[in-house]
Amino acid sequence: MNEVILRAAKISYSYDGNDPILKDISFSLRRGESLGVLGPNGGGKSTLMKIIAGLLKASSGEIFFNEKSLTAYAHYPFHLFSYVPQSSELNPTMPVKVKEFLDFSISLFKIKNPQLIDELLDLVGISHKKNSLLSMLSGGEKQRVLIARAMIQKPQILLLDEPTKGLDSKGQDQLLNLIETIKKRDGTAVMIVDHNINQIIKSCQNILCLNRNYHWHDHKDFLTKNILEDIYHCEFEHLLIHEKDLNAENPHNHHFCEHDHDLAPATTSHPFIRRKP
Amino acid sequence: MNTFFSDFFEYDFLLYALLGTVFLSMTCGLISPLIIARKNAFMGAAISHSTLLGLAISLSLFEASQALLVFLSTLMITIFLTLFLAYSTFRQKLPNDSLIGIFYNATMALGIIIHTLFAKDQSDLLSFLFGNILLLTKEDLYLSLIILIITILVILIPMKKWLFLTFDEEGAITSGIRAQIYHYTFFVLLAFLIVTSIKLAGTILVETLLLVPGFFALKFSTNIRQTFAISTIFSTVFAVIGIILANAFGLPSGATLAVVLFSALLLSLLIKRVYDLLR
Repeated sequence: MNEVILRAAKISYSYDGNDPILKDISFSLRRGESLGVLGPNGGGKSTLMKIIAGLLKASSGEIFFNEKSLTAYAHYPFHLFSYVPQSSELNPTMPVKVKEFLDFSISLFKIKNPQLIDELLDLVGISHKKNSLLSMLSGGEKQRVLIARAMIQKPQILLLDEPTKGLDSKGQDQLLNLIETIKKRDGTAVMIVDHNINQIIKSCQNILCLNRNYHWHDHKDFLTKNILEDIYHCEFEHLLIHEKDLNAENPHNHHFCEHDHDLAPATTSHPFIRRKP
Repeated sequence: MNTFFSDFFEYDFLLYALLGTVFLSMTCGLISPLIIARKNAFMGAAISHSTLLGLAISLSLFEASQALLVFLSTLMITIFLTLFLAYSTFRQKLPNDSLIGIFYNATMALGIIIHTLFAKDQSDLLSFLFGNILLLTKEDLYLSLIILIITILVILIPMKKWLFLTFDEEGAITSGIRAQIYHYTFFVLLAFLIVTSIKLAGTILVETLLLVPGFFALKFSTNIRQTFAISTIFSTVFAVIGIILANAFGLPSGATLAVVLFSALLLSLLIKRVYDLLR
């Protein structure tokens, strides 16, 4: 079994002294494996991701990179991981081209490889967009550029915050397949927050279900319908979460809960996960 | 018309004003696109308005003729106020504009009261509010050159880091860029630039020099290099035209610069609109 590359022990976090949004969250991630973080909106998924990425400081708890506590590092070990924010957080005011955007990081890490931009854009499948303005790209293309940027420093861990947000079913599948390719090619560990339950369960070895104070973390084989219902605070019928079930029919549809308005599907006849009437 | 130009070579103080305008407008042109892209336009207004408090205190302590002492004292007070604002607005959850709005009204009000009660010469304030090239000295020219050199060193050389932070702040932080240092550096530089530009443009109108060139450049440019080049050229050309007109017609320099820059922006937007329609 691969060694643990990232471990969180009893992480808690609250904004400005309010009720904790995260309480005693523990999980681990092994080299070359992936951890899918599921849960409803406002459940603390992105907050947890930002804590791991060093953008927020946990109120309590400890984080270990390669079994070395953060407190033992002189500086935050940014070199070990790459964080991919949601593409909607990019500032579109400046006319930045794709190649210029990648060059910001290449210059920062002082990498001397004139072919690197072409290689990265080839990897993510948008080499024809090299000279395009980032602001002119579609959501999926922007996300691919962000993933290309994340691979510049060959990270041990890839942290992805809702990479499929705003993409259609095809775009979501293509992007998650790309992440799977990178994982296999480089042995990169992946921690991914996403709303696409089916795809996450399919592609991740471990699942972290998170809803504020409550969380569940284990191998995906131990995930049950009850656990997901508890996390999402709603009941599902025909919840078939294991790979054999997912492969059986169309995996593109999402679950639907009242609090996930932005993910409301066009129909309620979901083949796998459907809210009870 | 010829005297418009010959004046600048005949009188030393006008030559200082002209060269000072070139240096300051180049600096403003270089920094302007970043101010807009980083969404710091209102912050710039807050710093420029809060210089009035620094000025009021300085003019209570020194005579207006003690230019360097007034400058240094105003600069120190403004940097202190700016650091407070920068600290209060770094990656905060609440929108920054409310605090900035409260802050700049309060400091400006306090400045006016202090000036009314304690200023050694009540007549100076108007010149500082709207700019007066007659106040520019040789020292101001050196200061303008210093701020240009500092801006080139601080902004132009590590430009990719500034752009990375501006375009994707979280990505930049997690790539190891220390955003907090850049945040404070940017505002201290802005405070320095604004205090240096007060005599030329005035505390109320210096914002025009900081915003119009960048706005123009971001509207018309198609890549990053072009953005900064256009902003700097636009700023320098129209600031020089403004200062020449201010001298020719005896107008306040800040107001003339503001009107010239704004007119150039408006005219170019109009021409672009007509061009787009005809195309």
